Amino acid sequence: MEAIRVQDLSKTFRVRQKEKGLKGSIRSVLHPRSEEIRAVDEVSFTVEEGEILAFIGPNGAGKSTTIKMLTGILYPDGGKLEVLGIDPTKRRKELAYQIGTVFGQKEQLWTHLTPYDNFRFFGAIYDIPEKETEARIKELGELFELGAFINTPVRGLSLGQRMRCEFAASLIHKPKVLFLDEPTIGLDPVVKETIRSLIKQMNRQLHTTIFLTSHDVGDIEKLCERIIIINAGSVVMDDSMEHLKDIHTSGMSLENMIVEIYKAEGRTVSV
Amino acid sequence: MNRTSGSAASICMKAVDGSAPWYRRGRKYIVIYRSVVMENIQYVVNIAMGFLSYFIINFVMINLWDYMYGTSGEAIAGYGKEQMIWYVMITEMIWFGARGATVARQVSTDIRNGNIVYMVNKPYYYPFYVMAKYTGEWSVQLPMYAGLAVVMGMAMVGRLPGFRAAALPAVILCVILGITINAGFKLCISLLSFWIEDAHPFQWLYDKLILVIGVIFPIEIFPEKLQPFFRLTPIYTVCYGPAKLVVDFSGEKCMEILCAQLLYVLAGGILIYLVYRKGVKKLYVNGG
Repeated sequence: MEAIRVQDLSKTFRVRQKEKGLKGSIRSVLHPRSEEIRAVDEVSFTVEEGEILAFIGPNGAGKSTTIKMLTGILYPDGGKLEVLGIDPTKRRKELAYQIGTVFGQKEQLWTHLTPYDNFRFFGAIYDIPEKETEARIKELGELFELGAFINTPVRGLSLGQRMRCEFAASLIHKPKVLFLDEPTIGLDPVVKETIRSLIKQMNRQLHTTIFLTSHDVGDIEKLCERIIIINAGSVVMDDSMEHLKDIHTSGMSLENMIVEIYKAEGRTVSV
Repeated sequence: MNRTSGSAASICMKAVDGSAPWYRRGRKYIVIYRSVVMENIQYVVNIAMGFLSYFIINFVMINLWDYMYGTSGEAIAGYGKEQMIWYVMITEMIWFGARGATVARQVSTDIRNGNIVYMVNKPYYYPFYVMAKYTGEWSVQLPMYAGLAVVMGMAMVGRLPGFRAAALPAVILCVILGITINAGFKLCISLLSFWIEDAHPFQWLYDKLILVIGVIFPIEIFPEKLQPFFRLTPIYTVCYGPAKLVVDFSGEKCMEILCAQLLYVLAGGILIYLVYRKGVKKLYVNGG
């Protein structure tokens, strides 16, 4: 069964332009000028339930914009999208109960509260009865090994500990689809491995669909079964990891393969 | 660990715990409120640092009005000396006690730097989330300033003539409604950041308007021709109304202010709903 269905999804941003210097600033006030940027251009794909998908591309390719449209944060200009059969543009709040998000560059936890208080907070946000929240905290505490710091204010946690708490908080309501935007950014190799094995475990045990964007090849290689590469707002490749490795022989690393694909599409951005 | 399948999971997670639907819907806002209170309680010392500004401003105002009233003690604009000073102390108490960064700065900053996206994808209504947070902020600050106002007022001005303790519940209700109305308008101004680069100048203008007309001086001080206009503005319901009830309470006045406040709550609520609904569709987030 499909967890995500996207068809001809498009999004254009209007960006204000300003000429250089003081004269340019004055001119931009008198004659404001803007430019349209096609961030996502008729993108189509589907994701099966329980699948772990890597959605990658160079900076500015349209990855985060796509995630934000899938989670109902941004409104698309065109196309259709469904997540778990729900149109995020029309039923965002309903969808919010079914999905989870982890943005590696942004914390959603309240830093002055302890992880335990944060989990109770998120439990209430998702309308989970208190008893059930307690049971869920216990369950996630064991899965993510949070026992040692569950009562320490978040501001006092290390980045690795905080990320484990971020994951636990985003799973408190048992989301069916989890959107991960650079979940291992800034983490040391040991913590990265821990987070990856937790994502794998979560996918196996809870059958959660994972939609991952990352510039870290390790995340992609170790977690994903399928890879979609997006560049300049369009899908340039949609293939299984297995097939991708098969067609690129001669012992080339995945990182180099991806760089080659980006280059072939006219972008020389490293992953 | 088994995953509850299909729609059963959502039903399970949507809390079939026997509580009333309104409680289930409202619980999240109570929890947001409680979390902010827990957070702010850790900063009571920081809040108390603001006492100094409150003390200095009121000390200046007490001396100023003392001089203005002179020895004759004649009423000015219908206020006796004690009434006038207590009026300013109450409005300043609301001003200092209800100032909160959430509605004034945080919302517009979040819209401008894109942080709002991490809040609007949660299953709560964002304006209610902001109001619950703000209420949590002032619920810690305001009682502290109220205590200071009473101590300072009793020590420097003395008992307020004609004060009726029985009127306190109505006064407290008016204060709460006044703060909510003020927050609603400030939130609306902040939400303008969906369209404009910087909403702070509008916040500044609104703040100064409330400060000069209503906080430092009661409406009656201003020319008679302007007074009916001021009574139609939020100034009447935000600061003037609650403080007027403290210094010169009457049942009729109380009803008049409460009715005006309820109308403003309704109008403010509709305005927030419309501005937010329109604005969130225009959301543009840097870097996607």
